[in-house]
Amino acid sequence: MSLRFKLLLIALSTLALPLAGWLFVRQMEQLLRQGQEQTLIATANALAQGLDALGVPLPPTGSALYVQRAPGRMVVDGYGDDWNLLTPFTQHLGPPSAPGKLSLLLCDDTEWLYLYASVRDATRDRVDANDPRASSADHLTLTLQRGDLTRRYLIASAAPGHFDALTLGDASDNALPTIVEGVWQEDGSGYRVELRLPRAQMPDRLGLGMLDSAQRVPEPVDTLPLLRMSKSLSTQLARIVPDGLRVRLISDEGWVLGAAGALADATGAKDARRRWLEGFVYRSLIAPQVSQAANFAPSLPRLDATEVWQALSGITATAWHRGNGEGDVVLAAAVPLKAGGEVHGALLLERTSATLPLLTNRALLSLGGASLLALVLAGGILFAFASVLSLRIRRLRNAAEQAVRAGGRSEVPLPLTNARDELGDLARSFSRLLEESAAYTDYLRTLASKLSHELHTPLAIVKSSLDNLDHQTLPADAQTYVARARDGAERLGAIVRAMSQASRLERAIAAAEPEDFDLAAVVRGCVDSYRPLVAPRRLDADLPYDAVPMHGAPELIAQALDKLVDNARGFAPENGWIRIALHATGDGARIAVANSGPPLPPAMHDRLFDSLVSVRDASVRGETPHLGFGLFVVRLIAQAHRGSANARNLEDGSGVEFVLELRGMPRRPLAGS
Amino acid sequence: MARHIAIVEDEPAIRANYVEALTRIGYQVQGYASRPDASRAFALRLPELVIIDVGLGDEPEGGFDLCRELRAKSAALPIIFLTARDSDFDIISGLRLGADDYLTKDVSLHHLAARISALFRRLDALGRPSAKETVVEHGPLKLEAERMRITWNGVEVPLTVTEFWMVHTMVRFPGHVKNRDQLMREAQVVVDDATITSHIKRIRKKFIAIDPAFDAIETVHGAGSRWKP
Repeated sequence: MSLRFKLLLIALSTLALPLAGWLFVRQMEQLLRQGQEQTLIATANALAQGLDALGVPLPPTGSALYVQRAPGRMVVDGYGDDWNLLTPFTQHLGPPSAPGKLSLLLCDDTEWLYLYASVRDATRDRVDANDPRASSADHLTLTLQRGDLTRRYLIASAAPGHFDALTLGDASDNALPTIVEGVWQEDGSGYRVELRLPRAQMPDRLGLGMLDSAQRVPEPVDTLPLLRMSKSLSTQLARIVPDGLRVRLISDEGWVLGAAGALADATGAKDARRRWLEGFVYRSLIAPQVSQAANFAPSLPRLDATEVWQALSGITATAWHRGNGEGDVVLAAAVPLKAGGEVHGALLLERTSATLPLLTNRALLSLGGASLLALVLAGGILFAFASVLSLRIRRLRNAAEQAVRAGGRSEVPLPLTNARDELGDLARSFSRLLEESAAYTDYLRTLASKLSHELHTPLAIVKSSLDNLDHQTLPADAQTYVARARDGAERLGAIVRAMSQASRLERAIAAAEPEDFDLAAVVRGCVDSYRPLVAPRRLDADLPYDAVPMHGAPELIAQALDKLVDNARGFAPENGWIRIALHATGDGARIAVANSGPPLPPAMHDRLFDSLVSVRDASVRGETPHLGFGLFVVRLIAQAHRGSANARNLEDGSGVEFVLELRGMPRRPLAGS
Repeated sequence: MARHIAIVEDEPAIRANYVEALTRIGYQVQGYASRPDASRAFALRLPELVIIDVGLGDEPEGGFDLCRELRAKSAALPIIFLTARDSDFDIISGLRLGADDYLTKDVSLHHLAARISALFRRLDALGRPSAKETVVEHGPLKLEAERMRITWNGVEVPLTVTEFWMVHTMVRFPGHVKNRDQLMREAQVVVDDATITSHIKRIRKKFIAIDPAFDAIETVHGAGSRWKP
């Protein structure tokens, strides 16, 4: 990965900024919420006390029957269709062993109180109400109570359809209905009874019992108080509820007994889409855990929210749920209504809180904007910085590589050496290193010739002494040693000559007088002379028939070729081959000398043509010493012809190829030659 | 009477070796360690042949100075440079000063002796009438083996002993390619390829200086050189 992208990645760390901001905003929002909750709870407590001061009677404790409001016009037909909307709030009156056996729904409109009872009883014993057996067959008993007056009715029917209930006991007082009639319907699973009572004769308490003839268990029937949404209570609540708040009074079973006030609509004039976005941001980032608004719907006759039940158990509770408008949240606080240490119900107070999301959204959006800006800015700056940095490093690297390729000598000075930062230090170090390397290269280059020069004199002493020794009368066995010494001196002489070869060649190149010649003829001549030398190795030549014109020093090129062939001969096995190819290129020629044999060590490719570098096995001693000058000479000659010398392994791995690219020596003015 | 040879060489071991070897051959040899010593001696009496080292003690080019001095005194005195320096530049400098040959110190005593006797032979031949001279004539070339003298179109070509022997090798069998080893053997030197090549080039230049159209010496790359028939 490049430095640039690394720094860009590092710039991503500024993402911690919005994260921290988000956490902070959440914290703030939570504090705000807590404050609002406290306020609302205080308000709710004040309301509860206000109710108490107004003398509003608290709802009774214990079980009760709730009379719902009729959803429309009710038809007394024994079928539950018109009760559908109310059935979720069915009350079960059955025996504790089978609570679902008898269920009851009550509702009223301005004139009537409707009753719909359904019994699950698959074992029917059908009789009519006035049948003498009625009391032991399947039937329902309805008990109505109004003030001190109690009246019981036996409801039974032998067949579906209209029925008249048998009024039990005295039926003179008109305060309760004297006759109760309704419709009876049944199917395989049980029967249903629907009837209605006039509002004028409405009881305070109501009890419904049943007898299953199959079980014959006598059913004690309790009458339960009737609870309903009370207009007077609502009016009284409306008097004390502040604006913008909704209040509901709830019985200890969760039934809504009174409601007043309405939630302030905070929609305002804002663009709906913007509000949607803000609501979405708020919900998804800040307050994802708001409760379901459905639990607090104003139309519910009974509230089933956890917080309500918590209040009914005597503990104040608050909840947040969504409001009507997008992005609105509603705070609900439920406080218990207590009298004599007993919870009689609860007061549920709700308030729309539009400012809270607004505030937090604003904070969040400005935070998001600011951190995005910071991110972009930081990323941009870091990217630019990294680009500049990597550009400088690349320049330095390119210059250094070029200088290294040029053997530590560079025509242009390294860049950045004037920079004052660490890169400048690096560049200066590089520069020093390159200077040292160049000096070392120069030293190496001249070492051999200096050394050979110094060795000439002692060698001359040895040789001349040996020559003199020849004329002394030596014992025969001493002659052997003289011969050996002479042999050693000869070899030493060859080494010394080889060592000064490079420097002599450099001078020869400097003094060379380029001429126009046919390179193909030179190479052909050389190849012919190599044949006996390289035998028994096979020598293949791939030479063009046409002349390859070249401007340069043929004897130098022939010398380079000698070195290459000598090198190839040294590496090709006796049964191997050597191939010499010459091709004219666009502005020069290309001589390739390939030989079978072991491949070059990969590390040596570039250094092979340096002075004093040899890949030859030191243990293999040929007749001439290999000091690594041969290929160096080749390179010098190639460079003199504005070309290059390269070595590579053959692709099929069968050997090595040395390539000499030649473009010819620069032409000099004729007067100079 | 023994011929008188002077050796100017700052390295005592070499000097002693050469003095002994040449004395054994029958020359009368005098060794000198420095240029002033030699100059003083030569002021009294000139030797018949001088062997000079280029670098003499403190004077890196003392040999060249001495050569110039001697040449001023005598145009015919054979002078051989014998030095550790083997660069073409030094060789050319030495020869320009009028040295008759230029040898590196790895030349064997045997080869050195051959040169010395050849130079004396030439000296003798020059002094005698050219009665029994072996003369090879080949076109414009006239080669007098005894006098070690070569003329081209009648103009003498100033060749060193080494160069003369090389030309002689080629001219004896015109058209035959003489390779490095043959030339080396004939010229009684042990040098490498590049030196042979530069010798040949130098020879060619000397001919061209007399006749710009000269092209009788042909280099066969990879093989050697030959005299064009």
